Amino acid sequence: MPPRPLAKINKIDPAELKMLKKRIDIAMVLIILSAALLITRLWYLQIYRGDEYAKLSEMNRIRIQDIAAPRGNILDRTGQPIITNRPRFNVVWSREDAPNPDEVIKDLARILHEDISVLLDRIRAATENPRYMPTRLKEDIDWETLAAIENKHLSLPGVRIEVIPSRDYLYGDFASHLVGYLAEISPRELTEKRYASYQSGDQVGKQGVEKIFEKYLKGEKGRNYLEVDVHGFEQRQMQLQEPFPGNDLHLTLDIELQRVAEEAMDGRAGAVVVMDVNTGNLLAMCSSPPLHLQEFVGGISQTAWNRLLDDPLNPLLDKTIQGQYPPGSVFKIVTALAAISEGIITPDATYFCGGSLNFGNRRYGCWKKGGHGTVDFQRALIESCDVYFYSVGMRLGVDKIAKYATSLGLGKKTGIELEHEKGGIIPSMEWKQQRYKEKWQDGETLSVAIGQGYVLTTPLQLCRMTAAVVNGGTLYRPQLVQSITAPDGRTLKTFTPISEGKILGSAHSLALIKEALVGVVNSPGGTAKAVKLPDVLIGGKTGTAQVVRLAQVEGMSEKAIPYKYRDHAWFTSFAPAEKPEIAVTVLVEHGQHGGSAAGPIARAVYKRYFELKNGTPGDAVETPPSLTKDEKEE
Amino acid sequence: MLRFDRRLFLNIDWVLIGAVLVVAFIGLANLYSSTHLYTNVGTPLYLKELTYYLFSAAILLLIVSIDYRVLLTLNYPLYVAMILLLVFALVFGKTIGGAQRWINLGFFRLQPSEPAKLILVITLASYYYRKETGKGFTLLDLAVPALLTGLPFLLIAKQPDLGTGLLLGFVFISMTLFVKLRWTTLATLLCGGLSAIPIAWKFFLKPYQRQRVTTFLNPENDPLGTGYHIIQSKIAVGSGLIFGKGFMKGTQGQLDFLPERHTDFAFSVWAEEWGFMGSVVLVVCYFFMILWGLNIAISARDKFGVLLAFGVVSLIFWQAFINLAMVMGLLPVVGVPLPLISYGGSSLLTNLAGLGLLMNIRMRRYMGSS
Repeated sequence: MPPRPLAKINKIDPAELKMLKKRIDIAMVLIILSAALLITRLWYLQIYRGDEYAKLSEMNRIRIQDIAAPRGNILDRTGQPIITNRPRFNVVWSREDAPNPDEVIKDLARILHEDISVLLDRIRAATENPRYMPTRLKEDIDWETLAAIENKHLSLPGVRIEVIPSRDYLYGDFASHLVGYLAEISPRELTEKRYASYQSGDQVGKQGVEKIFEKYLKGEKGRNYLEVDVHGFEQRQMQLQEPFPGNDLHLTLDIELQRVAEEAMDGRAGAVVVMDVNTGNLLAMCSSPPLHLQEFVGGISQTAWNRLLDDPLNPLLDKTIQGQYPPGSVFKIVTALAAISEGIITPDATYFCGGSLNFGNRRYGCWKKGGHGTVDFQRALIESCDVYFYSVGMRLGVDKIAKYATSLGLGKKTGIELEHEKGGIIPSMEWKQQRYKEKWQDGETLSVAIGQGYVLTTPLQLCRMTAAVVNGGTLYRPQLVQSITAPDGRTLKTFTPISEGKILGSAHSLALIKEALVGVVNSPGGTAKAVKLPDVLIGGKTGTAQVVRLAQVEGMSEKAIPYKYRDHAWFTSFAPAEKPEIAVTVLVEHGQHGGSAAGPIARAVYKRYFELKNGTPGDAVETPPSLTKDEKEE
Repeated sequence: MLRFDRRLFLNIDWVLIGAVLVVAFIGLANLYSSTHLYTNVGTPLYLKELTYYLFSAAILLLIVSIDYRVLLTLNYPLYVAMILLLVFALVFGKTIGGAQRWINLGFFRLQPSEPAKLILVITLASYYYRKETGKGFTLLDLAVPALLTGLPFLLIAKQPDLGTGLLLGFVFISMTLFVKLRWTTLATLLCGGLSAIPIAWKFFLKPYQRQRVTTFLNPENDPLGTGYHIIQSKIAVGSGLIFGKGFMKGTQGQLDFLPERHTDFAFSVWAEEWGFMGSVVLVVCYFFMILWGLNIAISARDKFGVLLAFGVVSLIFWQAFINLAMVMGLLPVVGVPLPLISYGGSSLLTNLAGLGLLMNIRMRRYMGSS
């Protein structure tokens, strides 16, 4: 601060000082009087009426109970509830009401059939909490136990029953990865900004939409102010703030299609994604095997958790968005689109497949050992001829293929609402240089052209790609939530389709591909004939993703190959062919054949979809037809 | 200006420093008792308060080292800065408990309505000092200081923070009465003021504020709403008896029954745990500090010093009196913190800066005119 000139100030003149002093004296008197007033008041409160207040403070202690808010429901697109709440009863211990627990806990342990030491440990663990905060001794007790405790209520001071709403999964484990589960908030989460208003002991969404839409679903806690006496018995209610229920989440899922997909997967490892091709809305998202959500209610045990971690079928992985697999022949859609659009081939140009192609000093085999003979564009896709696509891919070069794959939304996250989505890999020359510091080998382009090698995709990406190819070329962002409504029915938020733009490729080339894909299911020699439905025209593409190099399992019969070395089976599809409405993508891990392992699952979904649409009731899911010898295709 | 005169050191006001230290110690101990049960994330509140103390003490040192007469040239820039801060808080402030009071400075959330109290005191003291009148002030002379007070008053009442707004009013009235008024002026003001009360009641107060006043007049009427605070606070104070329940042993204060037990209702925790004896000690400490401040006012070397010291004293006195009377159920619940005791950095900074001005005036009472 620059030194400022001090204002010229004269000493105070005596006459004025005298006058001011008089006023200050008056002020002093007033101040002393107010001090006297306050002290008199203190005397009145603390001494004259002190005993009264002391008694009141003994008697009249306020207990504050938080009342959990019922969490919002989760419904499907038809308004069918999928997840609601049910009351859960916990036994809690309130320290402020009974300072020495030993006697009471002994009785309680008998009623709960619990070890005393377990209960005492829980009480000890909570000594850091404020005294009025109850400690949970046992969660989710049954009616019998509840009745027993209520009966002995008077001889169990300090023991209370707490009722909290907890999740009720009406459809069991359907869409379990997507909905996620609830658990007690962790100490680490408590320090995060987004959970600023939470307290320890609160339930919070840990995964899936339960986590993503937590702030809409959670509602607001109520509070109950109760007067309690010295023994902790409630005297009267002073004040009640009703809890405010959370908002309802309307998913885009159709619970019927979800059911069909889950049942058709039948616990095999894999994924099913069903998308509305004209909006990007997801009608079913199944990652199999499912999580058992009930295990997570009230916290999952360490043993159960370890079991999940060690399971070879990897149930903890959401395979729809986190499972990254080579797309195999499904990727030929990309290669075909690039080749036609770039003018590398004409639809009529043919190639000869003799069962293999020699390139450099290596021999690249076709899956059909005897070869396909002469194939044109349509045939190549219908019969999934590798040699045709080797040749086309070679002429395209890897970067052109990558350009089209990227425009179809592969190799990057789709932007779905869920956390921890994986983006997959679409290789290019630059990518390899960055990743491996090596030059791209021409031979590697051949593998990419048929969806092997470095290429990795997720089921969701392939489903979205299929939708974009058949809906006229628009790439939509996949969405899971239709709208959010308040408890009083008001709509708070609606989600409209989000277009990510147009894909590369002319309308003409898209039409050609679509036509070929219909052939895959419907023409002789097509790899997915098993999917055919009598009155709906379906189009699709099968794929097999190699898990190990053929050489290692060469000559083994399919049954003899150990499970973990078997190929993954893909099938991606759409229907009805004339004016596509939905796309269905199925992956069966180690299912060996797209047509036979994955195809029937898609077929079951279509069957149900059109039954629902046309109002023809059907029920049980068909079991996939067993394979006849001559249907063994790729 | 910054030339250090040996005499300054000789005149350090040890009495006031001692009184402040005693009250500060009481405040911190009480804060520890009322908040140690909080399962709060981050630094415990009493440690935060301690850092506010250290920060404010540094500001106090700075204030003491500069001659207070500088304020005569700085008063309007300070005033303008205060108005800007208040407007900023209204427009961009952080909303806490429905009121926009805070400006986030990163390390510190400033509540501009707190320093505004002190800046108003400085502004009024400068104005009345310059406006020498032999015969006393007329109504017209009062228009300017009334406007100077009215502007921050409206900005603060709009937040809404009626407690602080009223406090500005009390400070204005005290300082205006202190300088000479004409009898006619005084009479007119009294009549005008009294007739304004029903109008303010009807148009200016928000429903919840009216409710607070009616509840205060009859707390039993509404034991669950606003009356709850008053009843509970009285129970806490009353149940302290002669010697109190002991440090950290209060049941009322510890039981989370008062949402403001470490801020506005800090004294009820103290009274419950230390009883009549402890409460009287604290009240006496306070009032000793206030009376000492008046003593400083009367010994100041010039009229500006007298006015400034008197203003600071009236500010501290009104905060203390309103808060204590509220906690004891003598006044309706208005949000006025207890100086040096209630938790809160902005309030602490303001009051310590005010005490710094007092020490400043005291130290320079023998200096010649410059």
